[in-house]
Amino acid sequence: MSDIGVPTEEYQPPPEEEPPVRAVSPGEWVRQNLFNTWYNSVITIVLAPAIGYLIFRVLRFVFVTARWEIVEVNLTNFMVGTFPRDELWRPWTAMAVLGLVVGLGLGVTARANTEVARIRGVRIGASWHENVRRAAPALLLLVALVVFVRTATPLVLLAGVVLLAVLGYYAGRRIPPGRRRWMHLAVLLGLAVSYVVMTQFDGVSLARWGGLMLTMFLAVGGIALAFPLGVLLALGRRSSFPAVRLVSVVYIELIRGVPLIALLFMGWLILPFLLPADFPTPGRTWRALIILIAFTAAYVAEIVRGGLQSISTGQYEAAQALGLPAWKTMRLIILPQALRNVIPAMVGQFISLFKDTSLVLIIGLLDLLAVARRVTQQPDFLGQGLHAETLIFVSFIYWVGSYWMSRESQRMEKRLGLGER
Amino acid sequence: MTSTSTSLTQAAWRAGGTGEEMIRCERVNKWFGDFQALKDIDLVIGRQEVVVVCGPSGSGKSTLIRCINRLEKYDSGMIVVDGIELSDDVRNIQEVRREVGMVFQQFNLFPHLTIMENITLAPRQVRHQSKTEADGYATELLERVKIPEQAHKYPAQLSGGQQQRVAIARALAMKPRVMLFDEPTSALDPEMIKEVLDAMVQLAESGMTMIVVTHEMAFARAVADRIVFMADGQIVEVGTPEHFFTDPQEDRTKLFLSQIL
Repeated sequence: MSDIGVPTEEYQPPPEEEPPVRAVSPGEWVRQNLFNTWYNSVITIVLAPAIGYLIFRVLRFVFVTARWEIVEVNLTNFMVGTFPRDELWRPWTAMAVLGLVVGLGLGVTARANTEVARIRGVRIGASWHENVRRAAPALLLLVALVVFVRTATPLVLLAGVVLLAVLGYYAGRRIPPGRRRWMHLAVLLGLAVSYVVMTQFDGVSLARWGGLMLTMFLAVGGIALAFPLGVLLALGRRSSFPAVRLVSVVYIELIRGVPLIALLFMGWLILPFLLPADFPTPGRTWRALIILIAFTAAYVAEIVRGGLQSISTGQYEAAQALGLPAWKTMRLIILPQALRNVIPAMVGQFISLFKDTSLVLIIGLLDLLAVARRVTQQPDFLGQGLHAETLIFVSFIYWVGSYWMSRESQRMEKRLGLGER
Repeated sequence: MTSTSTSLTQAAWRAGGTGEEMIRCERVNKWFGDFQALKDIDLVIGRQEVVVVCGPSGSGKSTLIRCINRLEKYDSGMIVVDGIELSDDVRNIQEVRREVGMVFQQFNLFPHLTIMENITLAPRQVRHQSKTEADGYATELLERVKIPEQAHKYPAQLSGGQQQRVAIARALAMKPRVMLFDEPTSALDPEMIKEVLDAMVQLAESGMTMIVVTHEMAFARAVADRIVFMADGQIVEVGTPEHFFTDPQEDRTKLFLSQIL
């Protein structure tokens, strides 16, 4: 380089200039965004009062006219349905166990994420107000529950669960990187323990679960099992074995061609006839869960297939050239990238599943939405038109769950650097 | 065949390097549908030899080296790598791939893994090395390609030239006996070509057996033991750089050289 006379070592790039900050006063903002042309002014003048009135009516209903005592009285029904009241220590214990392992898991991943983010130079929610914003939907739900609780015991227990989760989080942050793989085991163990606490030792069978507890069981179980099954189906659809490919394609196309409600009815009415006579028919709740998993897996499979197609052949060739066997290529190179590329679609599917669990009410399960319908028919409230209160309450819970998933998926995309290339 | 066929055959069959045979291709044919990409390829490459393959695009140069590590399946003929004949047996293919490193035009680094993880993945997963051992050797390799400070970055954070040097280090981490380069500098900005070629020269000097598909004629002249000129799926001419650049025999070769030099 010296022969063309460029003094490389002394060359300094010019200092970067900060872009100018433009302060806009509120009045200026309104003029620029709401009254910048005559037709925008007209739209603003017409719509602003309409929207304002609507918001006023909603707020007035929620905070003034609504008769929330139907929710207050039935809060336990909303949470657990007809679960025997003298067995309530079981769900509380399960919640404590789950709170602990979930907190632990969050703590461990938080630590891993900060390390990865530091390497990548990406800044992710480290400051406290970002953490508060992240927890905002859950906090809102907590506030709502606290407002509606009428006795002290659930408050104390709830505080205990939250405390355990927080303790788990800080314990998780202290776990050294080498021991992280035990976390998966801890989470599985936590799930197993809570299931045993719920159902074994004279416990309560799934048939009597209800309310939010049933909804969460169906949603979490559905997501956790539909995801791996869907990935397997997607891989099966691209398999080089014709039989595997055929089975996958037929399964995916059949399931996707039938409405979920029809499948739920089939699980309810037809499945028992298909099983051998002496085979114990799974309970109604299990059948609903199986149908939800089977249904979602077919959609997940197509989403994953899209992700697999987004990976260039160069990635396969590079892995092959290094001598990686096919399944390791898939597990270590292709799937991590393919799944990362489809996070938005995948989480969309999971949000759908979460809300679709409400369809189980048509086969007689008492999920969150079913409770909302049922309590308005109690003698105390019958014929008083309290549908709005109950529907708003359960909708709020569905919204919290869906919004939380949506936000977490955006965080995950950012963390995994999607859109970076 | 023309009158030069005897000399062509002799030049193609004479292993360079130590004289010991490393790769043998015999009457290799390859079709893509109706299109014949390789026609009766005969070539022997010696241990520690550096062979540059050049020719116009579509001449089958990439296909040839991709057949050597079985990224492409050839339809007839025989390829033997370090005594292992390529067959349809998966284990046999894996065995050859462990011995043969490859560097691609588009780098093909794994974007979701750090540089260190890119390099240590195969040694740990295929050769079952411990993390310490693999990390140690990876650091050594990164020093050899002169980017040790990038170990914990991700590929997207590196320049093209740096990425390609990582790709070389990644292939070397498997301690291969042969390295294949498929147009390693074609996707690079001009100012980054030299740093990659420098790494390749250094590798050639260390005694690696190399087959390099490239248009970098200065590199070929300086480093190659033999140059193979291909056109239309055939080997047209084989010779030392001196022979190739000063006294080409075939009209096709002369035409090609007149177009690129």
